[in-house]
Amino acid sequence: MIKIKNLNKSFNGNRVMTDISAEFEPGKINLIIGRSGSGKTVLLKSIMGLHEVDDGEIWFEDVIFNKLDFVGRKEIRKEMGVLFQGSALFDSITVEQNVRFPLDMFTNKSPEEKIDRVNFCLNRVNIINANNLYPAELSGGMKKRVAIARAISLNPKYLFCDEPNSGLDPITAILIDELIKELTEEFSMTTIVNTHDMNSVMGIGEKIIFISDGVKCWEGSKDEILHSDCDLLNDFVFANALARKLRSEK
Amino acid sequence: MIRFLSQLGRYVLLLQKVFSKPEKASIYYRQTMQEMIYLGFNSIGIITIISFFMGAVITLQTAYNTENPIYPTYLIGLGCRDSIILEFSSSVAALILAGKVGSNIASEIGTMRVTEQIDALEMMGVNSASYLILPKIIATLLFNPLLTLISIIVGIIGGWISGTLAGVITSEDFIYGIQYAFVPYYITYSIIKTVFFAFIITSVSAFQGYYVDGGSLEVGRASTKAVVFSSVLILLFNVILTQLLLS
Ligand SMILES: Nc1ncnc2c1ncn2[C@@H]1O[C@H](COP(=O)(O)OP(=O)(O)OP(=O)(O)O)[C@@H](O)[C@H]1O
Ligand SMILES: [Mg+2]
Repeated sequence: MIKIKNLNKSFNGNRVMTDISAEFEPGKINLIIGRSGSGKTVLLKSIMGLHEVDDGEIWFEDVIFNKLDFVGRKEIRKEMGVLFQGSALFDSITVEQNVRFPLDMFTNKSPEEKIDRVNFCLNRVNIINANNLYPAELSGGMKKRVAIARAISLNPKYLFCDEPNSGLDPITAILIDELIKELTEEFSMTTIVNTHDMNSVMGIGEKIIFISDGVKCWEGSKDEILHSDCDLLNDFVFANALARKLRSEK
Repeated sequence: MIRFLSQLGRYVLLLQKVFSKPEKASIYYRQTMQEMIYLGFNSIGIITIISFFMGAVITLQTAYNTENPIYPTYLIGLGCRDSIILEFSSSVAALILAGKVGSNIASEIGTMRVTEQIDALEMMGVNSASYLILPKIIATLLFNPLLTLISIIVGIIGGWISGTLAGVITSEDFIYGIQYAFVPYYITYSIIKTVFFAFIITSVSAFQGYYVDGGSLEVGRASTKAVVFSSVLILLFNVILTQLLLS
């Protein structure tokens, strides 16, 4: 369980997060949705400790993560897997070495055990026979999947995904969403996903938080999202032509 | 002025992070070896070519500017040797390396920043500053003196070949000249400068790359800044070190 309390953050006097509180439950996909520039990435990176919040508390189970030093954070970060917005695979090493990297840094497994684990994770995301390719040789969807494999290599308790399906075609996007959902249930992780894709929201959103200009405006489930009385959320939800059409016919 | 001081503060803080205790020494060792190849070994070519031609030109210019029967011609060899050791192989070579190595470091680290690879490292419990920058600093501190020695030798050979081919000096005179009144300390002086300059190039360029904010445009800008700032600092420290070491 991850809890955030009254998070505030500004960059050079520019407020990008105002008083955000929320709870993220284990074994579920928690979605953070909002328009581009609304502060989703900043919020997610603050939870991971990659941005320092100005004030507020970030709880992982019963510790306040943002009060810990580098060593204390490292302990908890062992349990976090992250899929960054642009995949963030290391360019200079191969797919196999990328997935192996966290194992090298955090564990004392033997080389054979590491390779086994790497292959297990790559198989799990359906990347076969690509161990010796470099990230530049992969398609966008493959990169995302390798990045997911890297994120789950340490069997994390928490999974963070920043726009896992942006830049992908609709079918691949759904595959990636499904993969994240399966992994979340299989390993009962606390998963937080940033997205601005309504397809994902309706597909995998169990608990949803909507933010706009750094303020949390709404919270609920995907069944409630179509009937909210939050105007900003409705503008967002019914932004695409098809959704508007369906709504007016109703 | 305030901006300059805050930049300086950030630079010092970054260096502090770079020189904090490394987590897994074995990984650092491997990285350092790799950087020696990327940043050092791969610069041998450009240093050789430039040193050869600069040695050649320095010899010819010395010769044509001292066409006077009172001067013995072996002084041309001596002049060529000293200009190369004292100034060319340390300072000018450092400026060239600032262009090649500096821009390379800034754009590599800058790209890693904007594509969130540095964030990914931090998430894996890696001290990213130390992991990315320390091997580069150590590699250049160790390798650049070797580049300087290569540059000195090749530069003098260049001078010898051009001088004899152009007929401004005989081979015997040149070889006599480069041995005449040789001060071994000049080599030490040159190496000390090189080590300082290597540190400036690597740390300043890494600093520019590490704090890139934005996209590929900013990466390009950081790499330009890396070259400009490290060149200016090299020129400045050249004066300071010369005063300290030769006076
Ligand atoms: N390092 C930074 N320095 C200054 N401002 C920043 C920084 N990172 C983000 N911001 C600002 O914070 C705001 C929120 O940005 P953020 O990246 O969180 O948006 P987002 O919701 O993730 O958008 P997108 O969907 O496009 O990824 C933006 O106005 C952005 O300019
Ligand atoms: Mg974002």
